[in-house]
Amino acid sequence: MKRFTNKLIIVLVMLFALSVLVAGCGGGAPAEDQGKQEAANEKVLVWGRGGDSPGLDPANVTDGESAKVTINIFDGLVQYKQDSTEIEPALATDWKVSEDGKTWTFYLRQGVKFHDGTDFDAEDVVFNFERWMYKDHEYHIGGTFDYWGYMFGDYPGVVESVTAKDKYTVEFKLKKPMATFLANLAMFPFGIASPEAVKEYGEDFFKHPVGTGPFKFVEWVPDDKIVLEKFEDYWGEKAKVDKLVFRSIPDNSTRLMELQAGTIDIMDGISPDDVATIKNDERFQLILRPSMNVGYVAMNMEKEPFDDPRVRKAVNMAINKKEIIDAFFAGLAKPAKNPLPPSLWGYNDAIEDYPYDPPKAKALLAEAGYPDGFETTLWTMPVPRPYFPQPQKIAEAIQANLAEVGIKAEIITYDWATYLEKVENGEHDMAMLGWTGDNGDPDNFLYVLLDKDNAVKPAGNIAFYKNDELHDILIEAQQEMDQEVRAQLYKQAQEIIHEDAPWVPMSHSTPPIAAKKNVIGYVPHPTGVEKLNTVDIQ
Amino acid sequence: MNMRAVIKGNSEQVEVTCQSRSLWSDALSRLLRQKAAVLGLIIVLALIASAIFAPFIAPYDPEKGKLSDRLQPPSAEHWLGTDSQGRDILSRIIYGSRISIQVGVITVGISLVIGTFLGAVSGYFGGILDLLVMRFIDIMMAFPYILLAIAITAVLGPSLINAMIAIGIVGIPIYARVVRGAVLSVKENEYIDAAKAVGCTNGQIIWRHVLPNCIAPIIVQATLGIGTAILDAAGLSFLGLGAKPPKPEWGLMLNQGKDALQTAPWTVMFPGLAILLVVLGFNLLGDGLRDALDPKLKD
Repeated sequence: MKRFTNKLIIVLVMLFALSVLVAGCGGGAPAEDQGKQEAANEKVLVWGRGGDSPGLDPANVTDGESAKVTINIFDGLVQYKQDSTEIEPALATDWKVSEDGKTWTFYLRQGVKFHDGTDFDAEDVVFNFERWMYKDHEYHIGGTFDYWGYMFGDYPGVVESVTAKDKYTVEFKLKKPMATFLANLAMFPFGIASPEAVKEYGEDFFKHPVGTGPFKFVEWVPDDKIVLEKFEDYWGEKAKVDKLVFRSIPDNSTRLMELQAGTIDIMDGISPDDVATIKNDERFQLILRPSMNVGYVAMNMEKEPFDDPRVRKAVNMAINKKEIIDAFFAGLAKPAKNPLPPSLWGYNDAIEDYPYDPPKAKALLAEAGYPDGFETTLWTMPVPRPYFPQPQKIAEAIQANLAEVGIKAEIITYDWATYLEKVENGEHDMAMLGWTGDNGDPDNFLYVLLDKDNAVKPAGNIAFYKNDELHDILIEAQQEMDQEVRAQLYKQAQEIIHEDAPWVPMSHSTPPIAAKKNVIGYVPHPTGVEKLNTVDIQ
Repeated sequence: MNMRAVIKGNSEQVEVTCQSRSLWSDALSRLLRQKAAVLGLIIVLALIASAIFAPFIAPYDPEKGKLSDRLQPPSAEHWLGTDSQGRDILSRIIYGSRISIQVGVITVGISLVIGTFLGAVSGYFGGILDLLVMRFIDIMMAFPYILLAIAITAVLGPSLINAMIAIGIVGIPIYARVVRGAVLSVKENEYIDAAKAVGCTNGQIIWRHVLPNCIAPIIVQATLGIGTAILDAAGLSFLGLGAKPPKPEWGLMLNQGKDALQTAPWTVMFPGLAILLVVLGFNLLGDGLRDALDPKLKD
């Protein structure tokens, strides 16, 4: 007996010691605040985020964590306005398009310098475009230039030629008119890099990015931080802070603790459950990114029973979106009824969403031959995404909703890369996924996610939804230059999609960002990435 | 002649039963004298009771909740609060005890049966067979315990059944070693020679004479093993390799609650406490049994 009492005491003492140690670590963090000391001399803005950038060559990355950094180092020919997806001049000050929509002429800004001191001119633009579009270009290296393929169809795709007319004029010849051409050029992947640096670093350019942007690259410590500093010769509004540091802190709650401790100034990827904590803390401000995304549940139409529209409609009626959004988005989202976010032109507000109506859902299932429901799988991602901040919990709530109408769904999950690979190959029955718009064009949602062209494995259209009528409309809209006409076409497209119900459109979220009160001038962009030259620390 | 044999047989039988009853009742009384072991026994009995009577004592459905009631702190309505889906945590813990018992019994069953067989055969026959089996066991033991379990579930696919199989397999070496050790000492006894002399087969000898005399260390190991198995299954579920939602498995509950650690600590605290208590219970009971069954401590 005594032995056990002793053992118990030892265990308890050890537990106590451990808890003191852990508490001590937590309390110790603010003390070693190097950031503050540096801030005395220079202004440093530290951005805390969930993961490191895979690479810093914008043409060779597709993810948000890379784009977030590269957009501050590089400029495109044109760019989006600070708070919308309207186009404004960047490295090109003006442009014109020919009558037939096949020739685009860009007039370049003069006196622009790259971070390495070389001058920017038309030859540099040609060099960059040829590097991206020709697979046999000497410097088409360091990656597979995915985004060029996504946006322009192939290598070289829709672009026939790029030529320098004179030192500051570039002319593009297209094979066919392309309505989204200008909007595509404003995307982050098409930032102009210094040809000198591309030639110097070759394969390693992604580690030594050199552009014309407001910040120049200083240092990259993998999985820890990326340091940029103000570029004094920037052509536009010069950066207000001297240094910009992107720190990778994978765990959401650790990142929040760092913000509370003052070691970072601004952070994204906030757990919805922490939103209230930030709101109630007067040291912080909660900033909402305008919504240009959609979270959805795709039903694999190549598999039974989802080949039956009645079943797909029943699933739409079984899920209580409103309740799920209130619970798992901290209210920071709107229920979705269309694949397009409401902020985008061409959104069809006349469409009436399927109501939450379990009895009707059951009736539809019975009509389709499943009076007792059926067994299926519901796939969900393992990592929080801007459009689904708590995917596992949302999946569980959907599972409970489906159970009410007799559909027994098993939740399946894989690590993020495997998950994407498997759903793109159509291994799922139902799968949760989402999309954040890249260029503010409806085509970027409807064609990429729901056209039959993209229902080919590996698919962007993971419902494997194939509708010829819709396809014709989407292709027509791609080649139509008049935005009014295009908007009408997209509205029509949404009606067809609503009727066929390949998805349960779930939500359009406004991802929250938390910053210290003294961080001013930050404007979140709908595409999820923005230049931080206007941000200052008071 | 016949009569005598029967009488003799009877008296032997009586004697044997007397002896064995006194061994077990001795052990029981020794066990009950240890307060820690009694505490362990009470915890284990409480766990079993809650598993059996779950539908009667659980106030709510463990798998259904109202999202409008989510993340409520402990109150008169929900004694241990509610989780992120608005489910009653107390009910989930109560129903979770069923899963835990299932896990404990099945995993230990797997390791026990296979481990005992391997240990007994290898200890009893010795020689090249012993060498082969024990080297195999050594190889298994060279892998870190939980890592091997993760590897096996990764191969089989994540589910509670597969997690149980994995933990069961990983547990085999311990039983094999314990049993082999016991068999090695038991088989030197004269009654084994006697059994051989009257023509018992090897199987009979192992089953009826060797194993019953190795039972004490096996019981101790199994009791301790249940606690470990429950802990490991919770660990695998926490990692997403075990039970699937909406099952009220304790490790899974920990995983689901961890995001709300700061805002709703009860979602992790109570399932964690449940695991702690049960594992502690089995460990205390196992330790107590070890002392109670140890003939050297006989007073």
